[in-house]
Amino acid sequence: MATLWSKISALLPLNEEQFLLQFSDKVESSVVDVLKRCRQQLYHDTTSTSRMLNAQIILDFSWEKLNTGTWRHVDKEWRRVYSYGCLFKVAALCRDGPSEDEILQAVRTCDMGLLMGAAIMDNILQVIIGILQNEVRKSSKGDDETEHAEVKRIKIESPHAPVIKEELAVPRIKCPSLESFNANYLLPLKPVILEGVIDHWPALNEHPWSIEYLRSVAGCRTVPIEVGSRYTDEEWSQTLLTVNEFIDRYILNKDEVKGLGYLAQHQLFDQIPELKEDIRLPDYCCLGEEDEDNITVNAWFGPRGTVSPLHQDPQQNFLAQVVGSKYIRLYSPEDTDKLYPHQSQLLHNTSQVEVENPDAERFPEFAKAPYLECVLQPGDVLFIPVQHWHYVRSLELSFSVSFWWS
Amino acid sequence: MQWFGFGFNAFGQICVNEGLSKGADSDVTKEVKVIRPTELTSHVERSGCCLKTSQIKASWSRRACLHLVGDSRVCLAGFGADVSGDSCGDSVVESRGCKDAFISELYLTLAFPDRIESWDLQMKEKTPSWSMEIKTQPESSEPPLNLPLVPGGYIATKPPLYRSLSPHLRAKSLALGAEHAILLCATGAVYTWGLGSHGQLGHGGLTSEEEPRAVEALWGMPMSCVATGGWHSVCVSGKCYTKMLTMKWVTALNLRDKNPLFFTDGGDLYVWGWNESGQLGLPSRGLRKAPQQQRRQQAGASCQDDSKSPDRELNETERREEVFISIQAFPALLDVTPPCEIRTVCCGSRHTAAVTTRGDLYTWGWGEYGQLGHQTLVSSDEPQCVEFFREQQMHVVDVVCGTWNTFVAIIKEEVACS
Repeated sequence: MATLWSKISALLPLNEEQFLLQFSDKVESSVVDVLKRCRQQLYHDTTSTSRMLNAQIILDFSWEKLNTGTWRHVDKEWRRVYSYGCLFKVAALCRDGPSEDEILQAVRTCDMGLLMGAAIMDNILQVIIGILQNEVRKSSKGDDETEHAEVKRIKIESPHAPVIKEELAVPRIKCPSLESFNANYLLPLKPVILEGVIDHWPALNEHPWSIEYLRSVAGCRTVPIEVGSRYTDEEWSQTLLTVNEFIDRYILNKDEVKGLGYLAQHQLFDQIPELKEDIRLPDYCCLGEEDEDNITVNAWFGPRGTVSPLHQDPQQNFLAQVVGSKYIRLYSPEDTDKLYPHQSQLLHNTSQVEVENPDAERFPEFAKAPYLECVLQPGDVLFIPVQHWHYVRSLELSFSVSFWWS
Repeated sequence: MQWFGFGFNAFGQICVNEGLSKGADSDVTKEVKVIRPTELTSHVERSGCCLKTSQIKASWSRRACLHLVGDSRVCLAGFGADVSGDSCGDSVVESRGCKDAFISELYLTLAFPDRIESWDLQMKEKTPSWSMEIKTQPESSEPPLNLPLVPGGYIATKPPLYRSLSPHLRAKSLALGAEHAILLCATGAVYTWGLGSHGQLGHGGLTSEEEPRAVEALWGMPMSCVATGGWHSVCVSGKCYTKMLTMKWVTALNLRDKNPLFFTDGGDLYVWGWNESGQLGLPSRGLRKAPQQQRRQQAGASCQDDSKSPDRELNETERREEVFISIQAFPALLDVTPPCEIRTVCCGSRHTAAVTTRGDLYTWGWGEYGQLGHQTLVSSDEPQCVEFFREQQMHVVDVVCGTWNTFVAIIKEEVACS
């Protein structure tokens, strides 16, 4: 049986000469010098301390660059340098018969590269993470038994679903043809719930998404988590946790931490291709003008009570509900003047109004704004037209997938 | 005056290691991370005469020693420098006669009496990348400018190198952060501009400013010194203090009294910006998390011995949780215990170092490369005295930070008292 290191080193160029390190002049020669030391150590004998030290210098330096200026303006070269730092650190961790803990650290390091870095060497970090995950799975079997009971308990909690008034309900339609969806909903920009269009997803069939399943596919993977009930709150923050930590802490509430955690608006399916296999792009996206590659697919996974304040997005959206249910309220962009968007540049697409508990004195016009509402159930896909204001609250443990397209 | 250095040394910018150049790794961590303050070879031996280092400037990978006495010049140590053990670095031929220097990762800027030149450190060209002539002003009332300030503007760390400043500001000193700048005016007022995403401008918000804008919270409180890290800013209140006492003056003044060594005005510290590594000296969530978990485990382990005390400890840490500062968007007064007056301050990318009027050095912030001088690799979100200099009976007179390291000028107490 091949060792972990032999599998990883097989992915690397044969020798130092073939391992290219080319960067634009944005990357100072002093930094390239340390990158070359890392490369040299990859092909020569030295201590793991020394390998680790040089990789960490690269990570620390590029981390500072990634935090300099706004994320959009960070030069892609620094994201590449960061990924190389991750690669060298993973190599240092896995070289000499790594412990279980070191393998998990290596997984985390790869994820940091996938989250913050840019693809290098044919996305080598993605390939390495596949190898590492097999290694993790080999060593972790069993002790899921206690969890089933807890999961059941959570499911039992009756979701106090708001009663949907019939005249305000978002219309529902079963598998419309492309033409009828286009003519009746897309062109007039009218919200609608599509039924039966994701019934064939493996996520609802062969691999029903459950806590156990997510643990087995992605348990050791690091993901960004929003902490705090809504992103407009003062105490709201983001943190990085593994899927297992997130489930323990915020879904099963094992540590009894106060506050809500939400895996929100994260491109999880690019990070974990195995989960991407479980979903499909809705056919209706082909009515858009842009290429399939430009469709942004986000995961939304969290406990009961997560709230996305009333806001609008610049693209068309299909929100597919896979697990649990969500209460959703929709307002037309024509009524923006009654919705009191925040003044600040950062939050100008978000309303100041607490939709289910509005302050009538501060926001008198809000009550006059007409709206539609619904409870989205597993298998439902809600079409949210571009710029349509939406408010979302999960009624129980929930996993949704959104598709932004134009 | 002697100089000491500690912190990041991957390029030998503090001291040259045999191991680094040979690729051997006897104790590679100690060589890359100098945790014990180490005296610099800070003089040039030239035909028997010995030139002392007057000032040090540092970037991420290099250290520049400025020799002002006699045949003035700059010597470079660190990346790209060919340094033997007993000199302070590669003497830069083009720097002969310079009066001030400023170094960034890409450029070395030199100020001469009649001109300013910026040299590209990577290209090794024969001519400077940028230069300007200075009209000599006879009997000028204003003190000479310190780099990166130049007549009419300042030198940035990346092109375009020259940026102009309004003469109305009467710029006195300037510090440059990763994406922001802090300016001290002759009046003692403080201006900031650039990126504000981490509160580093001190105007209360997170928005950016294209043009210098007065930090209104400090209005009416004249400052004497400004400094900036990557994402944070620091200033010291008090009367302007332009020149540092050199050893000659110390003897001339015949200072017999042990403490205080200097009769200069000190002031209070004001900090603002990002507190990610505790660089503001205020409680940082990231720093408290790790020790808290350790404490919890320890508490669990020691439960059998004493069932009461661990609980009390936990409560205390939990209570503290309320006041974590991640971003401080307005200037905050930083208390140093025991109370003391601050004479000067300098910042690395994520750490801060301040010298008190009594000659003590305090450091805080990111410490993973040993840049705090506490002889550990631990970060600190509280100002802590660097005991090394106290123990050695050394009076700290100046501090200069590189990105991840710290350089300190000291005077030995017995010299001062003789």
